[in-house]
Parts: sequence; structure tokens; C-alpha cells
Amino acid sequence: MSVIVAVDTGGTFTDIAAYDLEAQTVSYAKALTTYDDLVDGVMSCVGEANVDLGETDLITHGTTLVINTLLQRRGAEAALVTTKGFRDTLELARGNRTNPFQMDFRRKPPLIPRSLRFEIDERIRGGGEILKAPVTKEIEDLAVALEETGVRAIAISLINSYLDDSHELMIAKQLRERLPGVYVTTGTELTREWYEYERCCTAAANAIVGPDISEYTARLRDSLSEEGFNKTLYMMGSNGGVLSVERTLREPISLIESGPVGGCIGAGAYGEVLDIQNIIAFDMGGTTAKCSIIRDGEFGLRTPYFVGGYDTGFPIRNSVVDIVEVGAGGGSIAWVDANGRLNVGPRSAGSDPGPVAFSKGGTEPTVTDANLVLGRIASDIFLGGGLPLNIKGAREAIEKAVSKKLGLENRPLEETAEGILALSTVTMTGAIRQITVERGHDPKDFTLFVFGGSGPIYGSALARELNISRVIIPPEPGNFSALGMLLADARLDVTRTMILGLEEDALADIEQAFMAAEKNGVDTLNVEVPGATITALRVIKMRYRGQKHTFEIPLSAMIKDITQLREQFEKYYRTRFGHSDSEAPLEIVGIHVSVYATTRKPNLEKLPRIAASGKIAPGNRQVYFSKTGGWINSQVYRRDTLAVGSKISGPAVIEEYGATTVIEPGDELVVGKFGEIQVMVGD
Amino acid sequence: MDMPTKLTVDPIQLEIIRHSLVAIPNEIDANITRTAFSPLVYEYKDFATGLVDPEGRLIAQGSGSIPIFVANALGNAVRDGLDIYGLDGILEGDVIISNHSGTLGQHLNNVVMYTPVFVGPNKDDLFGFMCVLVHWVDVGGNTVGSCWASDTTEIFQEGIQYRTVKLWQGGVRNEELYRIIRYNTRFPVMVFGDLDAQLAGTLAGRDKFASLIDKYGAAKMRSVISAIWDQSETVARESILKLPDGVWRAESFLDGDEVDGWEPVPVIVEVRIEGSSMTIDFSGLGSVLKGPLNSGTYGGAYPAARIAFKILTAPDEPANEGCFRPLNIVIPEGTFLSAGPTAPMGLYSATLPTVIDTIIKAIGDAEPSVAAGGHHASFSAHCFYGTDPETGELYQQLDTGHGGWGATARQDGAGPYKTMAHGDTLDVPVEVQETICPLVVESLALRPDSAGDGAQRGGLGTEKVVRVLADTGVSVQIDRTQCPPWGLKGGEDGDTAIAAIEPVKGELRYITKGMTTMKKGDSFRLRTGGGGGFGSPIERKVDLVCADIAEGYITEKKAKDTYGVVLDDQGKIDLDETHKLRSTMAELSKVT
Repeated sequence: MSVIVAVDTGGTFTDIAAYDLEAQTVSYAKALTTYDDLVDGVMSCVGEANVDLGETDLITHGTTLVINTLLQRRGAEAALVTTKGFRDTLELARGNRTNPFQMDFRRKPPLIPRSLRFEIDERIRGGGEILKAPVTKEIEDLAVALEETGVRAIAISLINSYLDDSHELMIAKQLRERLPGVYVTTGTELTREWYEYERCCTAAANAIVGPDISEYTARLRDSLSEEGFNKTLYMMGSNGGVLSVERTLREPISLIESGPVGGCIGAGAYGEVLDIQNIIAFDMGGTTAKCSIIRDGEFGLRTPYFVGGYDTGFPIRNSVVDIVEVGAGGGSIAWVDANGRLNVGPRSAGSDPGPVAFSKGGTEPTVTDANLVLGRIASDIFLGGGLPLNIKGAREAIEKAVSKKLGLENRPLEETAEGILALSTVTMTGAIRQITVERGHDPKDFTLFVFGGSGPIYGSALARELNISRVIIPPEPGNFSALGMLLADARLDVTRTMILGLEEDALADIEQAFMAAEKNGVDTLNVEVPGATITALRVIKMRYRGQKHTFEIPLSAMIKDITQLREQFEKYYRTRFGHSDSEAPLEIVGIHVSVYATTRKPNLEKLPRIAASGKIAPGNRQVYFSKTGGWINSQVYRRDTLAVGSKISGPAVIEEYGATTVIEPGDELVVGKFGEIQVMVGD
Repeated sequence: MDMPTKLTVDPIQLEIIRHSLVAIPNEIDANITRTAFSPLVYEYKDFATGLVDPEGRLIAQGSGSIPIFVANALGNAVRDGLDIYGLDGILEGDVIISNHSGTLGQHLNNVVMYTPVFVGPNKDDLFGFMCVLVHWVDVGGNTVGSCWASDTTEIFQEGIQYRTVKLWQGGVRNEELYRIIRYNTRFPVMVFGDLDAQLAGTLAGRDKFASLIDKYGAAKMRSVISAIWDQSETVARESILKLPDGVWRAESFLDGDEVDGWEPVPVIVEVRIEGSSMTIDFSGLGSVLKGPLNSGTYGGAYPAARIAFKILTAPDEPANEGCFRPLNIVIPEGTFLSAGPTAPMGLYSATLPTVIDTIIKAIGDAEPSVAAGGHHASFSAHCFYGTDPETGELYQQLDTGHGGWGATARQDGAGPYKTMAHGDTLDVPVEVQETICPLVVESLALRPDSAGDGAQRGGLGTEKVVRVLADTGVSVQIDRTQCPPWGLKGGEDGDTAIAAIEPVKGELRYITKGMTTMKKGDSFRLRTGGGGGFGSPIERKVDLVCADIAEGYITEKKAKDTYGVVLDDQGKIDLDETHKLRSTMAELSKVT
């Protein structure tokens, strides 16, 4: 027997998906996330799923440890070493205020306090020339001062080091030798892009999480090894590829979006086998909805990524999947503000106390309560029937907290419940518009791929709003993140800022940089995934001179000459913005190389669950659809009874463990070869 | 009290439409930021997008751009268009531009572009105008960049005026106008790059709004928009009701400029609160200045009053016509915030942060809990330009300063941030500055002891030192070097701003507004102001004072002299001495 396993530690649950490579069967399990020690949750999940670790070849692990450590500002106390004159870069940030009219607006405090920020006399000029090299003696003095502070981690980030990392390396080497127990990281080990504040934040954040993640992975390895596991352990990186534990220890910041990326990988894998070029991956849970886009099998990366949000958070320069997240989930609370306006979210009732319908002490109506009132979810199927829902309580809460306050008490309650769903739909379509329209894409060119416990119930409604014609709900939408991690390749991204005018001379420099980046990636992955097929993808970053935003042009072949490169850029630009300029000078801003090594993966056809007990006839119930005038008797199916090729016309409801899919009137459903539900959205 | 009547629109649909209305200009903002060619647009956010109705009233505005345009620069341009062409003279596919100072009252770089939004099955119902204002980097005039000179005395020295002219007519490009634009700018590639982004945004906004309006029907949209205005009005009125009725005055002054002989310019405002209405009265202002610090009524007095009003009453409300209904603005003609169409206006924005802050100061007397100490209030713009000796290329690198903000009753002053006339405006990274220009930024750091002291202290100012590696021109625009950011309720003033050139050879030269040259190796040093404090420094919690010393925000001397906090030989707090000293200081303050 030979098994591969993915374990995803999320906010509420730790999920596991285990695939038996010989039997081609997959098993899933869930356990509560254990905040005291996350390793406990992982191990009890492994136990729950009955996985034999002695027979396991590979474990891929996603975790929210890094993001939570930074959001809660726990982590190690760290110091910063920076260029003389720039001790305050981390605190000055970029001078902007995201709410212009808020007089007492302020950002979250700097990652490292001023008293732990140290300067060193060194300088590299903007052109790359060394004005002053650091002196060994001063580094030694610095080591003494750092030792006195008792910090567990040190970040080194120098001005213009993106052009030349020798000073950072020299200081790091000496400090590592001198302070062996201290975690030392440099900005340029993490990113070779310019913008000193952003790079400095990246180094500081990496230092802060470094000691914790080192301890965590060591403990995890020990626990797994006690149960007989001594093969490969990978961590799930936010670029959508797995990385070795050794690499994780150097760059824990690469795990910043370690959890949510699983769903994107899964959506990409289904897109590939179903031959769909453009996908919007939409993941909705109890508290938030997240969306990302996948084009030609690749999802977008975004840099900088803001920890704690753009408004008051701090940036990270790293290859992070481009995800837009909004406070709209099943637990989002509907409320009327002091000005008599209806709001849904961003506050969530979460799982404790949860929606009013859970009868666990919740008093404020939620999106789930509205869905229950409208018959869109059944009162007797939640968590496989383990949690009966209180529809009377849900109705009363909506009546009291919303209808009465809006002066709608004389109208049918269904209209208010429908309104709550419509408003949360606006929030969600807003997020999808952000990830598409604001990135220069039209949502109607995409297929909507929905998962997460609360996602499938909204697929049709979202697609209608956005003029999207097809919705796909994969098998196991409630476990999809862990499933996606089973499908991840190993991946390494290398990015360099190189500002060059678009001239023939520049091409040789660019080619050299590409080769060096590829070699770096291939060498690393050859060690991490022995014997794997390794491929590299080149992207050149360009813009019109003067523009800030750079546009990433994928290169499928070697650049022939600058004319061809210019044509490629203009074509790319025109398709996104409708215009281009054939005279304005272009410049190259840098390169990006993604190197992939294939790992062993499950067969997607084998993933859906099939009902053990043969045929089960569909039931039916009344479901409220405002567009067709109200309550309609709708067929209700159990998903595991729908064979490949089944066709159903809306209105209908498909129920499974952990998720419900609503097919609106006018929609047509068909079950595809991989067990996926495909919904053709009617007019 | 004149509260609006209760709305009759479905409250749920109203919310859905409100979200959709605000989303459209924000989408356009994002695409303009991505495609614009000049950092003034994409970093500085010197642009605005929005939808106005056929009377020029603001329906929705993007939230990403700087606040100066909430005065409805967009609507003013449209009203001028309606005066000139009439409703019948503006047709589908027309795109009109204007930068006319007599209409907009700002420097000529601010060019509004707009196009009509026709809706309905026959596309014959004029719903409003989609507008995009962009600061063009150069529109001619006597200086590179058009608006940076401190010596202009007429608007005609600051560039060309396009008063309400059609860039496109019925969907056809007006090649002649394009040619005029092309030959009246020093940076045609950049201006056309920005113009393309502006045009794409205008047209995309039109189409998005039209399809949203057609989805719900124009009649329903009109009643929903009217209800949204009423709600925003209510939010503002309820805030005003919390302020005491009365007449409140405040004063401050600006540095002035060389043309006016460095004569200080007094800023005198009166704020009257009556029930749920507020009047901001500028009758005390002095007359039009000879130099370029002027602005017109709708580019100066209105934005300053509206920004202050919104900060005080409805900071989180999306900007629309309703927000400003409870505000009356009294402004006589011929002041420096209501200058006529020929007055120079290149530096119109330099006065606004101080005017805004002075209005807030007046409210501070009425209700300190909603106000703050003064902020640094200076743009502190500094622009290096010349020819790179290595590449032979022209360069220009503009950055502005950020300084301390005032303390409030609840917290220490924030910052360093830019001014109250700025918003989500990013500074230019040192690594980018050094790539564009032959210079080295030697340091960019907080200035210890620069904040106004207080129970809550102000935010700190900064110091930036730049050494130039080639002979360079520099243009500087600093204000408030004489009138410090004021403290509130016994809080002390913050430090003022100052800049100087430290030559390799020769004497140090102070500079506030103007242009000068620097020799290779000379340094430019800019210090920005700190924010004003709130409450007496000797009431500041001792542990906060100690933390400020530990972090290097204040010196030990300052702690002792101003805060009455004494440290012992080991650097630990000496509680007995501190108690004694604070008692003495409290006694002394009673005497004085």
C-alpha cells in the first residue's frame, strides 16, 4: 500500500484528504483546530482518517500558523539591521492614509519597535555602485548590542540591496556565526525587488515568524515520526507549490496564504482536465468569501500582499496567490445600522454561537438563517443531520432585527430574507469584480468554480449577476482545500527587479538573468523532489516608461528581438485596456521565473464519493425564488446518488455532507465525468 | 430642524444600488491607476472619477483619489458645459474637457473630462455625466510642470486654458484639439499616456453606469439616488446636532511668497453652528494675492470648507451631494480663496491644509472632543530636475513631505502622514528616487522632540537629507515655517517646517518657496513639522513618557523640562523626583 496525504489546518477545522495510490480511493476527515498546539489537531485528524503513516509516502501540510502569528502580533521579538539613516523606514511606511477624512486614522504599529532597530554604516547607490562597504568591526559591535537585547530573531534589510546583496550576506554571515541561537534573515534572500519599505517589512515579518515555524515543524516531524512516518514532508506555499521543510525554515513567509491556495490549485487542476481556460475560483466558508482567477491553468500572483488588509496592514513582497477576500460567509450577521441601513457582515457569528438556527445561543440573524427561512437549506441535513436547525428562531430573529427596523413588518418575511441574501450577493460579486474587472478582465469570459461549505448555494445567483454562463461545483466542495493540496506540484519563484530600456543590448542581460534564475530553481527542486520532471516558466515584467504598474508578459519561447517583444506587450496591453501606444518608450522592470517539479497525484476520476446504498429516490420541498414569484416545489437530490451524465432542470436542490447546491429555475445541471456538477445558467 | 423626510424607496434595494453605485467609480479608479503614465496620477492620486446628474450634482465619486476634488470640481465643469452648449448641444459620443480657471478655480493642470450618459431603450434619456479629472503633468506656461513656479502673477503664465471644448464629437476624435494639446505641453508622451487612461476611464464609466441604470430603470434610480442623498444628509446633520450652537472663530497664518514680499497671509475663519446646520464664513480673509497661492471660490474656499466639514461630520460616508447639504459657505468675492479668473493659481493647493485645519481649530473651541491639535499642514514639495551627466537624459523627481498630525482627546497624534488635503497618497521610495535622479538620500528619519507635547502628544515630523551627485535644479514649496501646528486644551505647539541647502562650499541657505540650483555634492535638508499636543504635558502618563524616551521619540531633557519626568543614573524612572517636579510645575502654571 502507498498513500499520499494532505492536511490543512484552517481557522475552525483541520481537514485531511488521504489518497491510496493503489486502490485509487480517497478518504477525508475533519477535526477541530487546536490552538494550544496545532500539531495536536493535525495528529488527531490523521487518527480520525485512519491513515497508516508507516505506509505514507508523502504528506503536504497547509497551515494558517504564519498568517495568524503576524495578524495577532505574537511571534518572536526581533531586531532590524538597516542602512545608516534609515532606522525609521519601517515606521514611516509610505505616508498614505487610506481613509482621507478620518482625522485619527492610523496604521497598525511597526513590526519592530524603534528601540530594536539598528543602523550600520554602509551604502550602495541607486545605480549599484558601492559607496561604503560595512566594516567587520562595526558588525562585531552590532552583534554585542544585539546580544544584549535578547532578541530571538534578526532581520537585515539595506537600501538598494536589491541591486547587490553582498552587504546583507556579509552581515548575515557574521551575525549567524556570532549569535548561533538567533534566527537571522535578510531581505534579499526573500525578494530581489525594489521598494525599501516593502522589502524591509518582508524581512521583518520573516524574522518574527522564523523561530515559531522552526519549532513547529520540528515538533510536527517528531510527532509524525513517532507514528512511523519518515518519508517526505512538504509545506504548502502561497505561490501554489509545495516546498521542503528546509526551505520553509529559511523563508516561512512563503506560507502566508498556505491554506486558501489549496482550493486554487484544485480549481486549476479541474480546469485542466475539463479544458476550461478561464476560471474564477470562489471559496465561501462561515466567515469570509475568497476569490481568485485561473487563466490557462495559472493563477495570478500579487505583490505586494498586505497582511491585515491594505487599509492599515503591512506589505509583503513574495509570490502570493492573488486572492480577494470579503467578510461574507454563512455566519455573516444581518443588521440595521444607526442610520437605518441594512448591512450584512463583516461581523460573523462564526461557529460559536453560530447562526440563530443552530440554537447555540446566537441571537443575531445570519445568512444561513435567511437560507433556512427560504427553504434553500433543509432543517434536518446540517452536518449529516447531526445538527437540527431551528427555523422558527431564524424567522423571529430576522423579523426582529431586520424587518421591524426597516419598516417592513407588514411585508412577507421571505422578502426580507431574500434581501439579506441579495445584499450579501452584492458584496460577493464586488469581490469577484475586483479580481476580474480591476485586473482588466471581463467576468463573463470565465467559468465560476464554487466550493467551501457555503459556496455552492450561491453559484447560480452569483453567475446571473455577473453574466457568467457556467458554474462548476467540484466533488467534495467542503473538503476542497485539502483535496487541492494533494494536487500541488513543488514550485519555486524567483523574481528580480532590473530596470532597463527596451533596447537590443538589454536582451543579453535579461537572458543571463533568466538562466541564472532557472538554474537556481532547478538545482533547488532537484534536491527537494528527486527524479521529478522539472519545467520553468518565464515572465518578463514591462511597462511604458513612467508607468508604475508593471505588466507581466509570459514568454513561451526565447525573445527574438525587441520588435517582437514590443508587439507582444502591446497586444497584451490592448486586450486588457482597449488601447496601446506604439510610440511611447517601453522599459523592462524585471523578470520572474516559476520553476515546477511534478509530484505524485491522485486520479481525479476516482475522487467522487458514491452512495453505498444504491438508488435513493429524490425528495422534494418548497423553495423560495423571488425572480419567479416565490415558493416553488423543488426536487431535492442526494449528491452521491447522481451518476455521471445525470441531468436535472432547475429548480432543484442537491445536498451532500457539508454543502448544499441550489439550482435556480431556468438552470440546467449535468454531472460530468469527474463527478463535478456543471450548471448552465439560464437567462 | 430641517431633517429630510423619511424615504419611500424599498430599503433593501436601496442598499444594493448604493453598493453598486460606489463600486463603479472605484473600478475606474483602479484601471486609471494601472494605466496612467505619470506618478502624479498613480502614486499621488491627483485625479478624481465620478458621476454627476444633469445639474452637476454629485451622485457617486471614487474613494481612491485625493479629497481636494470633493468640492465637486466635476460638477462645476459640467455646469459650464451646460451653460455653453445647452442640454441639446451635448450628444452621445461627445467627450468634453475643461481646465478653465474661472470655472474650476484651480491650477490649469487639473483637466476635467466628461461625457453624457444616455439611458433607456432608445438611449435618449440623459441621466447624467461620467467625469474624470486628471492632473496633466504639463500644460505649458513659464515653468516645467506648469504649476510649480512661485513667481507667476497672472494665470496666463501657468499654461493654456481649454475652456469646455469637445475632444470627441459624436464618437469622432477632434484631431485639431489633439494637435493643440500636443504642442502645448513639454511632455507629450506622458500627457497623452494619461489622457488615454482618462478617456478609457470616462467611456468605461459611462457604459457601466448606463447598464446599471438600465437594469433598474431610470425612474427608480432617480428616486433611489435622492434617498441616498437624504440619508447622507441625515448622517451629517446628526453629527452637527452633537456640537453646541454658537459662533466660533479661529486664526492662523501662512508664510506668503516672494511676489508678495513674504508678507504673512492671515487665515481667519468663523464657524456658526445652529441646530443641524453649519456655516463656514470666510469673510475675514484677505484679498487676492499677487503670487500663485490663490484659488477660485469653487477650487479653494469650497474644497477647504467641504473637506473640514466632512472630517468633522461624516468621515466614513461616501462623498455625494447629500453629505454637504447642511453646510453653508460664505465667501465674498476677491479673497485669495475666491480669486477671479486671471489671478495666478499655480500653488492653489498649498493654502488648503492650513485653511482646513483652522476650521477644525474653531470647532476645537466649541467641542474639543471632536477636534485635534494642528497638523504640519505643509505640502513640503521638493522637486529635483536637470540633465543626467551619465545618460544625457532630462530627469524630474517630485516628492512631498510627511509630518506629524495633531493629538486628540483619545490618542497621540498620528503620522508622519501627508496633509489633510491628501489621502491615499504614496510617497516615492528612496530606491526609486535614486534610480530616476543622480542623487543619494542620506537619511529619512523621525525627528525626536519635534512633536507638540501634551497629555496626548502630537505626531513626529521627519528629516530628509539628500546629496546631489550632479549640478541640479531644485524647486521647493514649503509653508508653515512661522506659524507652528497648534496645541489644544493646554497641549503645546509642534515644531515648524524648514528646509536648507548645505553647499560643499559657502554658506547654508534656507529656502521655503522658490527655485534654486545645487552644485554636485551639495545637500538638501528638509525638516517637516510635528503635530500639536492635546492637554497639559504634566498630565501625560509617566509610563508613556518613559516609553517615548526608550523609543527615542523624546529626549531625557525634554522629558524632564516639559513632562516633569525624571530618570535616575541607571535610566530608570525616579518617581519621587518626578512627583516633586510635576507638583512644582503645576503650581507654576497656576501662577502664570
